[in-house]
Amino acid sequence: MTELEIGQEVEMKYGGTAKVLSVIGSGGQGTVYLVRFNGMKCALKWYDIDKMKKPEQFRKNLENNISDGPPSDKFLWPKYLTKENEDGTFGYIMDLKPAGFDSFVDILNTYKLEIDPLTGHAVKRPVKFASLTAMVTAVINIVNAFRQLHRAGKSYQDLNDGGFFINVNTGAILVCDCDNIAPDGSNFGIGGKPGYMAPEVVRGIAQPNVQTDKYSLAVVLFKLLFRGDPMEGEKVVRDVCLTESSELKHYGQNAVFVYDPDDASNRPVRGIHDNVIKFWRIYPDYIKDAFIRSFTIGIKEPTKRIIENDWQKLFVRLRSEIIMCGCGRTNFSSMFIQPDEKTFKCPKCGMEFTSLGFSNRENRMPLYLGCKFYKCEISPDSDDFTSVAGELVENKLKKGILGIKNCSDKSWQVKMPDGKMYDIASGKGFPVWQGLEIDFGGVRAYI
Amino acid sequence: MTNENISDSVMNTDTDSSAASEIDKDINSESTDDNNSSLLDFDDDPLSATAVSKKSLVIFFLIDTSGSMKGKKMGELNTVMEELIPEIRRVGEADTEVKVAVLTFSTDVKWMYQAPIPIEEFEWARLRASGVTSLGAAFKELSLRMSRTSYLNSPSLSFAPVIFLMTDGYPSDDYKAGLKELQSNSWYKFGLKAALGIGQEANDNVLAEFTGSADTVVHAYSGGQLAQMIKIIAVTSSQIGSKSMTLSDETGRELSEQDVFSAKQKLLGQQIQELVSSQTDGDDVPFDTGW
Repeated sequence: MTELEIGQEVEMKYGGTAKVLSVIGSGGQGTVYLVRFNGMKCALKWYDIDKMKKPEQFRKNLENNISDGPPSDKFLWPKYLTKENEDGTFGYIMDLKPAGFDSFVDILNTYKLEIDPLTGHAVKRPVKFASLTAMVTAVINIVNAFRQLHRAGKSYQDLNDGGFFINVNTGAILVCDCDNIAPDGSNFGIGGKPGYMAPEVVRGIAQPNVQTDKYSLAVVLFKLLFRGDPMEGEKVVRDVCLTESSELKHYGQNAVFVYDPDDASNRPVRGIHDNVIKFWRIYPDYIKDAFIRSFTIGIKEPTKRIIENDWQKLFVRLRSEIIMCGCGRTNFSSMFIQPDEKTFKCPKCGMEFTSLGFSNRENRMPLYLGCKFYKCEISPDSDDFTSVAGELVENKLKKGILGIKNCSDKSWQVKMPDGKMYDIASGKGFPVWQGLEIDFGGVRAYI
Repeated sequence: MTNENISDSVMNTDTDSSAASEIDKDINSESTDDNNSSLLDFDDDPLSATAVSKKSLVIFFLIDTSGSMKGKKMGELNTVMEELIPEIRRVGEADTEVKVAVLTFSTDVKWMYQAPIPIEEFEWARLRASGVTSLGAAFKELSLRMSRTSYLNSPSLSFAPVIFLMTDGYPSDDYKAGLKELQSNSWYKFGLKAALGIGQEANDNVLAEFTGSADTVVHAYSGGQLAQMIKIIAVTSSQIGSKSMTLSDETGRELSEQDVFSAKQKLLGQQIQELVSSQTDGDDVPFDTGW
């Protein structure tokens, strides 16, 4: 393996040189260096080609990916290829991870290690989502990123917890380690991380592809929400030691979901899998059903796995069912008491929330101060889950009066307390009242 | 043997069945019935998660502190171990909690700490050398501690331990008797074993008997090499040990237990050999000259 020296200049294939400043880290395939290129600080990944099975093909694929460009701005995509060394080693340049993002590994650990510059000791700093909305938004962003990747005809291949950075305040995500991404159906020697790999890959009877990505995606989502391993329960823990053959069994030939409704042999174990036990009770059935399908029928029949677009719809719905109560309790509407069809009541403080029904779906959206709905929820043709269309706000001139502000760029028709329909332009608002009706232009909403 | 699985009973053959029944007691898997109480349960914040449950990996360092290690060898070893610990701190990522236990052997055998310590909190206590090389006693002590009722008592799943032996001389006691005892321990059987011989006196055959294969035995003849080899072995074995196996079969045929048996140990041997062969020989003065 050829390592780069600090201060060394690396020539790029299409001109320019990058100067090596320091080591950022090393992984299974090589080392990542901090470099200066065109006056900017960037990251340079330099491969250990001895560990690669097909370095030539890998390099060619990387070059194709660079010329295709990223499917969206959610990918930390390879940008420039280096020249090949005499011994065949090579690397590529990508942007540095922007500030404000934490690795998914740190989120799962709930802390990250930082070295105190004075003492040199490692200090644990907590890493946690700032809000439930930020967490569900992160899920939607992850799902959407893989939908875009798969629409571009490519598969990620080794999807795992090391592949993401997440902003815990906003839910923004960045997919990193994009160098194994390949056209669906090709594989350049990457198997993946057990626990994340689809059972057919673990068993050796399939190579990573778009369908195995879907399984890995379900594992990533399960880990993010339920903070545990979907296949690790009583049956696995009884093995005590996870040898190679027990991994083959529990993640391949005989993988059993911890909440398989027809097989109770692998339920989570108290004292070990407390997160999963606790969170499984919190999530609404439509989310649990999607995971059950992914990890039961989806184990044996790859085509029955949940497609990204369905995940996206489920989690956009979940985001719209969050209630942030004034008492500090934040949860999904299914965890609130429902005295009647339209009302949700906080079981802790008793506060009641009315809700908005929509003509294009059955579930109602609870209304609380600061709640938002998005463009994709009021416009059937839109896939835009980030642009806020409306928000529940307090009237600035009349304290205590709550209303909905039109944050979209279109006018809405709204029924006011006088019983007449009014045109509500962008930037304007209207009070929430018992007979409220809104026509967004196609989709209608009502109290 | 190839199809053997480490189950509770197998793991505890040396102690008895009480540990196994203890484990059975611990496993209270969740029943699925009730759900109605959850609305009134206020500990239901979807964000208040604890860290994901991790697999546990213990890295055992077996270090020769006999008199012949005195001076440069011990100085080099202490320094490289101090530097090494922070380097492998993050190796477990979100999946594995890595702990370290250090057993030293000279005339007596002695643990650096009385239990394995999480690597994030581990601080190296500098070692001193004196006495003879009681390797057999060290094997026996290791075998005693590698048990569910002793050092390997994590309630959750474990990976098989990493055992890294470093010595510079021929054992002064009956190492074969000790090794025999160790070989009957299932954690040893499934563990990742590697050994480093330091200087001319260390016998690679003895070390290969311990690791089970020659390719996980390396030799260091100088201070520079010693530092390199310790790092290579410790980093590689902790990386492999703390992760699930990597799959490389490309035949498209369904893998069997035989295919994956001891896959990690083979991978370790392969990677150590690759890394060792790519190291440059420094111009350091060999340990055994210039006395």
